[in-house]
Amino acid sequence: MASEDLKARFTPEATIGPFYPGAFLTHLPQDLWTVAPLVAHHPQGQPIVLVARFFDSLKRPVPSLVVELWQANAHGRYRHPQDQSAAPLDPQFDGFARVRTSDEGVLRFYTIKPGAHPVRRESAEVRAPHLRLTIFASGIDRLITQLFFDDESSNQSDPVLQSIPDPRVRGRLIARRRRTSGGGEGVGEYEIDVVLRGEDETPFFDDWDG
Amino acid sequence: MNTPDIVQRGGRVLPVVVNDRESEARTPANRLYRIPDAARDPFTPCPPAPFMRAGEHDLTRLAPGRPQASGEAIAITGRILDEDLRPVRRTLVEVWGANAHGRYSHVIDAGRNDAPLDPNFYGFGRLVTDDDGRYQLRTIKPGAYIARTDIGWWRPPHVHFSVVGSGVRLVTQMYFPDEPLNEKDFIFLIVPAADRDRVIGQPAATHAGDRAFRFDIVIRGRFQTPPDLD
Ligand SMILES: [Fe+2]
Repeated sequence: MASEDLKARFTPEATIGPFYPGAFLTHLPQDLWTVAPLVAHHPQGQPIVLVARFFDSLKRPVPSLVVELWQANAHGRYRHPQDQSAAPLDPQFDGFARVRTSDEGVLRFYTIKPGAHPVRRESAEVRAPHLRLTIFASGIDRLITQLFFDDESSNQSDPVLQSIPDPRVRGRLIARRRRTSGGGEGVGEYEIDVVLRGEDETPFFDDWDG
Repeated sequence: MNTPDIVQRGGRVLPVVVNDRESEARTPANRLYRIPDAARDPFTPCPPAPFMRAGEHDLTRLAPGRPQASGEAIAITGRILDEDLRPVRRTLVEVWGANAHGRYSHVIDAGRNDAPLDPNFYGFGRLVTDDDGRYQLRTIKPGAYIARTDIGWWRPPHVHFSVVGSGVRLVTQMYFPDEPLNEKDFIFLIVPAADRDRVIGQPAATHAGDRAFRFDIVIRGRFQTPPDLD
């Protein structure tokens, strides 16, 4: 079968291992609030901070874990050739960042809250605001998941979130807004624990075609 | 791996690398969730076009005009293709590896073994594929290094590759042919036997005097031409 021949040709994935170069973290955006020192830069939308803590099966923090974040702008539009949405691009927002967890297994991601968007153009189904994470670390191959916000009612009908049958498991993808904002006026700070394996394991998705 | 059973129930269960404590503690135990068809938009991360400095594809020198690192300089060339075997054009490729002694310039590799640093080698570089999805890099053939002293697990020589661009995302490791350590490496052995040749660079004609290897990469996903390319 031709499709099987093609599948057999894929290059297997592998872990980044323990020695991922820090240079690759400074070459790409890490903070979507700031494009460079001393530059007036104002992406549209509400500034937020995501504080994510990563744990392994023994509840140990996972340091030097690399996350590539990918998100829509405040209007729900991705800067991606395939996004044919009618929503506008934001000239000052690309939506991509590569960040690394600290020795305590924590990453802080400075961005703006993404907008909701239709599943496809002219589709009635709506994706709730979410962040797309691609996760790399020593010991694992690429993992992907999506994170949501606990103050968004559209979570109730998001097709990806709701595809997870168990509400407790679903809740592990929902970042909680902190009562007291540590980031200053008007900044929403959200926190979430991501458990790679074990009790309270975070759900991860499979983007290989079935 | 694409049995009807898995398609019905969800995605894959990811394998754990035996004897790899980080793999054992970090690999999700639960089956991956299949993304519902309605929301299977193939948006993969699309980083802004990278700004490249001259010579970033040449890992054998810290900068153009500097002395060459010790060890054997090698060329690695190949093509990057998407799942329709179309070239992945002008996409970012990042590579990294150990020096000829099996030591990484990464600070956490200090004291792990006795292998020395090479002052002329950082062991990382970047490049962008051309319009045919071709790439070419120059590096030092990495040395093997020990992963676990207690069980004598050595990593064979390998070069780490990352490809990130619109439509595709992949991280892999390229191994070298005829290395006896390959068949004893748990990270190599987790690759299904039928796919192992896909992660071994193939000997190729000498490139500008360097021994050369060909390493083609085929990635799940469909390359989407960014608007500024055409
Ligand atoms: Fe390595």
